[in-house]
Amino acid sequence: MNSINLQQTLPNVFAERDSIVSDVWHTNLAFEKGKTYLVEADSGTGKSSLCSYIYGYRNDYQGSIYFDKEDIKSLSITQWVELRKSSMSMLFQELRLFTELTALENVELKNNLTNYKSKKEILDFFETLGIDEKINVPVAKLSFGQQQRVALIRSLCQPFDFIFLDEPISHLDETNGAIMGEMLIKETRHQGAGVVITSIGKHIELVYDKILKL
Amino acid sequence: MKLIWKLLRQHISLGQLTGFFFANLFGMMIVLLSVQFYRDVLPIFTSGDSFMKKDFSIVTKKVSTLGSLVGSSSSFSESDITEVKGQSFAKKVGVFQPSQFSVSAGLGMQDAGLHLSTDMFFESVPNEYVDVSLDKWHFDEHSHTIPIIIPRNYLNLYNFGFAQSRSLPKLSEGVMGMIKLDITIRGNGKIEKYNGNIVGFSNRLNTILVPEEFMVWANHTFAPNADSKVSRLIVEVNNPGDESIAQFFHKKGYETEDNKLDAGKTAYFLKLIVGLVLLVGLLISILSFYILMLSIYLLLQKNTTKLENLLLIGYSPGKVSLPYQLLTLGLNGLVLVLSILLVYLLRSYYLDVLSMLWPNFESGSMLPALVIGVVLSVCVSLINFIAIRRKVNGVWMHK
Repeated sequence: MNSINLQQTLPNVFAERDSIVSDVWHTNLAFEKGKTYLVEADSGTGKSSLCSYIYGYRNDYQGSIYFDKEDIKSLSITQWVELRKSSMSMLFQELRLFTELTALENVELKNNLTNYKSKKEILDFFETLGIDEKINVPVAKLSFGQQQRVALIRSLCQPFDFIFLDEPISHLDETNGAIMGEMLIKETRHQGAGVVITSIGKHIELVYDKILKL
Repeated sequence: MKLIWKLLRQHISLGQLTGFFFANLFGMMIVLLSVQFYRDVLPIFTSGDSFMKKDFSIVTKKVSTLGSLVGSSSSFSESDITEVKGQSFAKKVGVFQPSQFSVSAGLGMQDAGLHLSTDMFFESVPNEYVDVSLDKWHFDEHSHTIPIIIPRNYLNLYNFGFAQSRSLPKLSEGVMGMIKLDITIRGNGKIEKYNGNIVGFSNRLNTILVPEEFMVWANHTFAPNADSKVSRLIVEVNNPGDESIAQFFHKKGYETEDNKLDAGKTAYFLKLIVGLVLLVGLLISILSFYILMLSIYLLLQKNTTKLENLLLIGYSPGKVSLPYQLLTLGLNGLVLVLSILLVYLLRSYYLDVLSMLWPNFESGSMLPALVIGVVLSVCVSLINFIAIRRKVNGVWMHK
C-alpha cells in the first residue's frame, strides 16, 4: 500500500455543521508512504475517529477513504485481517493492551502472529525504553506511561506501510518521548513506512513532512 | 495459542460447563442406550433370530355367540382369500380342506375283544405347509392305508396328562407309529374301511391331517355334491413381528392360533416405549445443548472487549473462535466417549439378563450406538462451531 486517500471524508456526527474548517475533513487528502504526518487537534474534533475509520473498525462517515485505489468500505474481513497484520500498525489512544497478561506477553501476542521480531529485539526495545524490569509484570500494574511504551513496542512488532500513533506520548516525559521518537523513526525508515501521529498539544519532536490541523 | 487461551479462558464458568457436561452425558446416554437396546432386543420378537421364528399363521374367523345363533358363516369366501393373498405381509396362502363325509376311527385289540371307536374328521393342507417328513405322506387307493398326522399336543396331552395321572405307560412317537387305526368312511351310499397309520406329529397344524391327494379323491368319491367350505387358512408371512399383520387381522375380525402375532404386538410396544425414551433423551440433549450455547454466549459476551482487541491487533475471527470451538469439541468428545462407555457397561448387564431369558440370544454389535453417537456429536459440534464463529463475526461487525 503506497497511499491512503481521503475524499470528502466527514464523520456523520459533523454532517449537520455549516462550515467545517479542517485540513482533513471534507477535503481531499493523501497520506503517502515514507512521509511523516502530524495531525494536531483539539478535543472532540474527530482525531480518534480518523484513526478508527482508516483502521477499519468504524465506518460512520461520509465521503470515501481509499487504500491506493481501493475503497476501504469494500474490503472483506480477511483483507482487513491481512492489512492489520502486514500493512498497517496502530498505537491506540486507549492502548488496548490485555491487562491480565504481562508486558512481554502482550508484545508476544502480536509477534506470535507476525513472527516479525526476535525475542532479543523485543527485549532490546524494552531496555531502550527503560521498562526492561517490567517485562514480567502484569500490564494492570504498570503506569499509563509505561503501558504506552509497551503498546509502542507491540505496534512495532509487525511489517507495515503505515503506522498510526494516536496521542502516543500523552503520559510521557520529554526524555522518554524523545527516545520513543528515535525508536519510531529508526523502525519506520527501515521499513520505508508512512507515519501519522495525532496530538492534542504534546507531540513527539520529529521532522514532519506535513502538519495538519484537524 | 497458549496466550490466547490464557486470555480467553477467563470468565469460563466451571459450574455451567459441569451442568452442561452431565446433562449432555445423561441425554446422550439415554439416546444411545435406547437405540442400542432397541437394536439388541428387537430380533427376539422378529424373524431376525431363529428361535422365535414362526413363519406361519393359522387364521380363522371369529366365532361369536350372536353369529352362532343367526347362523352366519364362519368360512372364508373366495374374495376373503384373495384379499389375504393381496396383503404385503403374506408370502403364500394355503387353505384347510375339511372332509365332507363322515369318518369314524376305531382302535382295537381283536384278541382281547376290545374295540373303541369314535366319530371324527379329517382336514388337509397343501403338502408344502406340512412340517413333518413327507416320506410316507402318500395315499394309494389300492393299499387302503391312509397316512395321518396328528398334533404333537395330543400325544403330550396323553403322556403328561392322562397317562401320568392314571399310571398308564407313556407312548413314544415310535410306538404311536405302530398303532393301526381302523378308519370307516361313509358317504354317497358307500361304506369303506381303511387302515390309518400315524406317520408324524405336527407342531404347526392343530388338526387331524391327511394328504391332500386323499382328501380330493375322498371328497369326490364320498361327497360329490357337497361344496367345500374353507374355515381355516394357513398364511406364510414374511415377518411375524410385523405389526401390520395383527392390525389387518384385527380389522377383519379374524383370529390367529397360538398367539403367534403377540410378537408383533410386543415389537410394536417396544418401538413405542423406546421411541418415548429416545424422545426424552433427545429432549435432555437439546436442553443441555442450550445450556452449552448460553454458557458460551455468556463467555463471549464477558470477553467481548478482549475479542475486539485481539481482532484489532490482527487476529482473524477464525483464530479467535478456535479456543472456544476446541472447548466445545473437547466437551462433546468427552461426553461421547463417556456415554459410549456407560452404554457398553449397561449393555453388558442387560445382555446377561437377556441371554439368561433366551439362551439362544445372540448379541449384535455396538455399531448402532456408535454411529448414532458420532453423528449426534458431529452435528452438535458443527452447530457449536458455526454459532461461535457467527458470534465472533458479530463482535467484528459491531465496531
